[in-house]
Amino acid sequence: MSSQLHDFSPYLLPNGLFWTVKVPNSALTINADGSISLHLVDVPVDDAFTFPPPVQAVPGISPIQLIPAKLSLDITYLKGGNRRHVRPTSHDPLSPLNWAGTMWDSTNSGRFSLSYDDGSFSASGNFASAGNFGEMGFERNGVFSHDEDSNENEEKSTFLEAAPILSPHAVVNSVPKTERTVLLKGRVPVHVNE
Amino acid sequence: MTRSTLGALLLFLLAFSVPLVAQIQPIPNGNIQPVPIPGGDLVPGYGIVNSFVPGPPGQTPPFDPIGAEPNVITNFKGLVAMGYTSGLTTMTSDGKQYAVITDIRVYKGAYTGGKAGDFGQPTAGATMSALSGNPEEYNDPENSVFVEI
Repeated sequence: MSSQLHDFSPYLLPNGLFWTVKVPNSALTINADGSISLHLVDVPVDDAFTFPPPVQAVPGISPIQLIPAKLSLDITYLKGGNRRHVRPTSHDPLSPLNWAGTMWDSTNSGRFSLSYDDGSFSASGNFASAGNFGEMGFERNGVFSHDEDSNENEEKSTFLEAAPILSPHAVVNSVPKTERTVLLKGRVPVHVNE
Repeated sequence: MTRSTLGALLLFLLAFSVPLVAQIQPIPNGNIQPVPIPGGDLVPGYGIVNSFVPGPPGQTPPFDPIGAEPNVITNFKGLVAMGYTSGLTTMTSDGKQYAVITDIRVYKGAYTGGKAGDFGQPTAGATMSALSGNPEEYNDPENSVFVEI
């Protein structure tokens, strides 16, 4: 397995919100065929090199070194088959199973470009599901997780009605063999090259 | 270059520069702050990250249990899309080719977050719950779009 050399993300907000940015509605297009497309330009991110990030040899204010960069990307998600209704099976607020919704398998693909703010590194490329897991749909969590009326609304959604049924694994697993790995996000359990 | 040509060029540059400035809306400056999910994965050497790793049936670690929460924001209701990908760089500044792995998640919907409350007296910023957006229609223009990269 290749070793990770770069890890780009918006990193953590002080409140712990994980690698998340808020973007205007215009960045997201919900298409009539049930697919959704995201277009981002120059999102501020940091290169932490690995996840978890390495500790700096000479720590400054932050114990880790983050290199500021900008990321642009276009990504499209396609809804597949295998619709499933999710119900909370735990009342533990820390559990991963305390949410509800209607989800489908999905595939996605896109392209990206990024560069350090100081211009010392840049890269661009393409990515695709390649048989790896993905899902899309409607979800409710927290105070909304037990909102039973939402089931009917989800069923009536035009987004759901319009979406085609695609094979979730329509894209052949074609993970390439290369020498290095540059991650846009760490701890991602994809099928990596040998 | 004539004055009219120069004007057209400036307009072109302005038109394409506005989205770059306006695209990211800093969350800490928002009126109603989204709240992270309370749970997450315990990563050795790092601690709890407020995010899970959903996976397919028949999965093995490092995925989380089947049907694991795909969102990083709690008290959320709306559209969610996520997926793991792999790919290749097509161009790099160092001339090397890299394998690329991504996990990019999109959330559009309403959420109940926190905002500075009115308690009838000055506070340090004590919060109260507040609804952002329309939970009855995921595609309402008042709803927010978040991206986890």
